[in-house]
Amino acid sequence: MTETQPSAHSNGPAPRKRSTRSPALRRLGRGVMPWLYLMPALIVFTWFKFYPMISGFLMSFYEVKFYDPSVWVGLDNYRAILHDSALLVATWHTIIYVIAETIGAAVLAFFLALALEGPARHVRIIRTAIFVPAITSVAIIAELWRILFNSASYGLVNSFIGLFGIPPQGFLTDPSQALWVLILMSIWKSAPYDMVIFLAGLVSINRELYDAADVDGASRLRKIWHVTLPGIVPAISVVVMLSFIRGFRVFTEVYATTGGGPAGSTSTIMTQIYKVGFEQLNYGYAAAVSFLLLLFTVLMTILHTVLKNRFFG
Amino acid sequence: MKSKFGQLLLGGCLAVAVALPASAETITVWSRQTDQSISVLKAITDAFTKETGIKVETFNSGIDFEQRLARAAAARQLPDVVINDSSQVGSMRQMGILDPIDRTKLAGWKDVSDIAWQSAQDGQGKYYAVPISAQAFALFVRKDWREKLGLPVPKTWDDMRKLAEAFTHDDPDGNGKADTFGLAIPASTTRGYASWYMSHFLWQAGGGYLKKTKDGFLPILNTPEDAKALSFVRGLICDGLAQPGAVNATTGDTLPTFRSGQTGMLIDGPYDLGQIAKEPGLDKTEVDMLPAGPSGVAALAEGTSAYMLKGTTDKAAVMKFLDFLISPEGQKIGMNVGSDVTPLVRLPVNTTMDVLKIRKDPRWKVYQDTFLNYGHYMPAVPDWTSIRLLTGDGFNAILSQCQSDIPAQLADLNTKVAAELKKQGVLDPSYKE
Repeated sequence: MTETQPSAHSNGPAPRKRSTRSPALRRLGRGVMPWLYLMPALIVFTWFKFYPMISGFLMSFYEVKFYDPSVWVGLDNYRAILHDSALLVATWHTIIYVIAETIGAAVLAFFLALALEGPARHVRIIRTAIFVPAITSVAIIAELWRILFNSASYGLVNSFIGLFGIPPQGFLTDPSQALWVLILMSIWKSAPYDMVIFLAGLVSINRELYDAADVDGASRLRKIWHVTLPGIVPAISVVVMLSFIRGFRVFTEVYATTGGGPAGSTSTIMTQIYKVGFEQLNYGYAAAVSFLLLLFTVLMTILHTVLKNRFFG
Repeated sequence: MKSKFGQLLLGGCLAVAVALPASAETITVWSRQTDQSISVLKAITDAFTKETGIKVETFNSGIDFEQRLARAAAARQLPDVVINDSSQVGSMRQMGILDPIDRTKLAGWKDVSDIAWQSAQDGQGKYYAVPISAQAFALFVRKDWREKLGLPVPKTWDDMRKLAEAFTHDDPDGNGKADTFGLAIPASTTRGYASWYMSHFLWQAGGGYLKKTKDGFLPILNTPEDAKALSFVRGLICDGLAQPGAVNATTGDTLPTFRSGQTGMLIDGPYDLGQIAKEPGLDKTEVDMLPAGPSGVAALAEGTSAYMLKGTTDKAAVMKFLDFLISPEGQKIGMNVGSDVTPLVRLPVNTTMDVLKIRKDPRWKVYQDTFLNYGHYMPAVPDWTSIRLLTGDGFNAILSQCQSDIPAQLADLNTKVAAELKKQGVLDPSYKE
């Protein structure tokens, strides 16, 4: 870009000076400049992302000994995964979590987006207010939900449902409810984020299609089904993909509320990895599970892209 | 070509960290302590430096201490000495950062009590640490509540349960609302809290985790005694006598419930005496011995140890420091008498010292008596952390499912613990499922 600019005002001294540079030097400059610009980011990413990822992958083939040389165990860590019943349960919880959270948040976000579409000022204020959970730290949200869903009879939600004659519930302390409370929390946090993506999608729909539908006498529901939904497929696709990736890595939400309990009912893949890795200090096994999770996420992303291109290309 | 040049440039620009070699007469000490209580360690190291001329650099952290240690080990930048819970000896050995210590090389080793030395021993009788502090657990009770309701000091499980019921239902704080609970229970799976908390009750019931035999260890979780202990504690939780959310709570959650007047009983170590003296206050609380279960009084005994790490360059200086820690002078500074700050030395391990002469506060006597007469250490298996986490998960599952079959769940847990013992190579071969 900088190279092409001088030619626009050829009277200045700069272009003449530049033309004295040999073509080889200029080519070199053109080759180096992008790297120089990228370097700060590359250094940070190499050091904090790529290097740890590769080193984690290598670790998964070892029994990590920290001080003494680690012992090569080949695929033993991966084989152990097959017999890990706790991880199997955690995976099942994670799948329920991901599916329920993705659908719940996307549906809620879609209707929020429909309701809050448009440039009016009050709508903008409400949109901003609704977006707040998405930018609040998970640890703080977790603490709020622990207070809201306090299992005592005077807990906020328990007091509320008490008005309708429902007895106090255990919520986060009840093994059959805890996971669902966490899913609800996650929907509450993710829906605004999804909503913004849907809003962007809604803007891109050609208004004439709605007019045409009106002329044809389509009901509101039919317009949503035949015009709005097909128009925001790219947005839906982004929402689903981000939600899947986010969901499979769920950790803070669980760790800050239940720690995986009660009775293991909220254990997820990441809390299992944390437990094995950082509490039992079995880095090799934790690295193997982490790597499989990464691989799975990458595969899901590829699959998603392929499906999207095939059906909606 | 271009991209290669770029990569070369990139590589060249990467900063290389240069570690400065430490001076021979400086040792580094890491301690699992909060920022507030580090002043106590500083006082010890200052006195040590004054006496020997050896400088001590300290680092402390109250969170993720083991993870930091693991990272330091991987980077080959270990400190010379670590001060940590005695129960961490297994996980630190597993990291491969400990060498056995020849305790007879310490001038004052004979002054350290035998029971304290036990905490630093492995199953084979080798020592991997030097104990510097011991402690047991006792029951904090809201004395003002108890006296208002006219109930006695709880001496048995029955008393404890009755007091918990009264604290929950009889509005002990007199505010007209049903917002108080009997006792604070940390029964989370996190770090195996549920297991750690249940230990007192298992021993009070006459059960436990493992039985030491001459060929190793046998798991004894499937006994009726253990079932009795779990049934008692589960009753407290399921009948609403513990604070709400007990099955997800850690000690970080329980202490505030007692301090703020939500709960009226708390099992805790002497390290929180200072905090509880500030709120709810000395006049409102009492420290009682833990109540007796079917098999009598029992409490978990814990300690703090100093570990010499592998790769230390100046062993002589380190040994001098360890000796100073167990000397009467070092122990006395560590006890930090007359301050609210958590002491590094709770009960001294040096038998030549009388804790009650140094600490005028009679509440310490309860801890001292409990430790000497009723203290139980966690079993000295190679890796206790794994078993604590495993039993923590198992106990949490029982405590959070009010209708579940306790003996069946314990039998299942017993099998899992046996498998873990086998993995660690210490399962008694006579074990049968």
